[in-house]
Amino acid sequence: MISALNNALDDIFGAMRLRRVWIALAHEDIGDQHRRTTLGPLWLLVNYLAFVGTFVFVFQPAGKDAAGYSAYVAIGLMVWFYLMEVISLSVSLFKREESFIEGTTLPLFVYVMRLTVQSAIRAGYAIAGCIVILLLSGSELTMAWLWSLVGLLLILLATPALITVFAFTGAFFPDSEFIVGNLMRVGMFFTPVFWVYNGKDAIQRYAYQWNPFAYFLDVARIPILSGQFPGNAFAVTGTVALVMWATALLLLGRYRRQIVFLI
Amino acid sequence: MVSIKLDNVSLIYKLHEKLTLSAPDRRLGPTGGKIEGAGRKQFVQALDSVGFELKAGERLGLVGPNGAGKTTLLKVLYGIYEPSGGSVAIEGKVDALFNINIGFRREATGRRNIVLRGLINGWSEAEIEEKMEDIIAFSELGDFIDLPFKAYSQGMAARLAFSVATALDPEILLMDEWIGAGDASFQEKAKRRMDELAEKAGIIVLASHSESLIQSVCTKRLTLKGGRVESLTAVPVKPAEAASASP
Repeated sequence: MISALNNALDDIFGAMRLRRVWIALAHEDIGDQHRRTTLGPLWLLVNYLAFVGTFVFVFQPAGKDAAGYSAYVAIGLMVWFYLMEVISLSVSLFKREESFIEGTTLPLFVYVMRLTVQSAIRAGYAIAGCIVILLLSGSELTMAWLWSLVGLLLILLATPALITVFAFTGAFFPDSEFIVGNLMRVGMFFTPVFWVYNGKDAIQRYAYQWNPFAYFLDVARIPILSGQFPGNAFAVTGTVALVMWATALLLLGRYRRQIVFLI
Repeated sequence: MVSIKLDNVSLIYKLHEKLTLSAPDRRLGPTGGKIEGAGRKQFVQALDSVGFELKAGERLGLVGPNGAGKTTLLKVLYGIYEPSGGSVAIEGKVDALFNINIGFRREATGRRNIVLRGLINGWSEAEIEEKMEDIIAFSELGDFIDLPFKAYSQGMAARLAFSVATALDPEILLMDEWIGAGDASFQEKAKRRMDELAEKAGIIVLASHSESLIQSVCTKRLTLKGGRVESLTAVPVKPAEAASASP
């Protein structure tokens, strides 16, 4: 166990020393994806606004507070899209990085951080769009927003661990790429991204209480929408993050040298 | 002192029957070698009791049929594969050229690719800046250096890759056989740079199927077969080279 931990930390610290590599590669990735387009990365903002607009237009409950629902969906979609992208892309991470893994001695965590930065940059455009929607919908800028910021930082902190765990899962179990992809698509309907938990419906109750993603959404959403500190959501999100980090360290320490033979 | 010493090195890895919902198949890993065992307990013996020693200034040519273990051995020397047995002792800074396109972005210019490749190699920004013009000059890409990499021919890509890999005078350079893909003038230029590298007390290990390339570049030949060393011999010096070397 100690040797696995040391191995994992070697890999992580090695990657941190090479931070200029993963930051540069992540920026190139984003640039390449939007090269020769008129709007460039601003398409990320347009896509986000289009989704929020569509969900608000279609699902806004009749007779309810329209502005409040817009804010609810805007934060929900911002966090959900981030999680969905991180998890879906993680499963095929080592396969996509095959030529690097077979041709260089870069630490595996370099690829993890490359995807983390990529996802964070994309989320940055969604966050910008979300702030605009919140201000337009009349949400007051209060100190409680800082709790949302802490919640987002907690999610960001959990991201490298999530990526590592799902990347190893994908390397050992290639079918998981499709299983996870489908689960994340379906998961959107079982997570209170655009529907509001009313505490009565049995299916909604299970989908809310036993779905860790619901708590990831709440750490960012509740402080802004209700001005309260969501202690329970922070506790669950923090626990999930810790479990994920422990699993990630174990996988990285034990199997990082095996990945080159698996991909 | 730059040196490489391999003692009884073996590389055995489990042939993973990946967890999959599809029908089981015989998935082979990235190396060649012999497959041993049966059923779910199959192993690939990619290298078996490989041992040799290289000192500063020596250039080793790895030869052998496909699947003999040449590329695997290079990757063990580079540290990509961890040997299952034996010991690898390497003194000196190692650089490798296995795949021309690694680290090169199709959409980025040659100049930007030099920066990215430098970062991947672990160079500082100052080192990249300092070497930039030398790399561009050696690669002879001229104005193409500011065009996207995707506009380059295979030979131009090879020139850029070689220029970057040898720019910081690696003490040990590992190369797969792609160097034989360039045109004659590039090969001649590359050979001169490798000579300079070896004269600076470096070590070169080159895997190739080209006997003429081995003869012109290397001082030793290691023949591998089925992951084992079949022979380790000195490459005879060509008469012309011997004459030029004598006082």
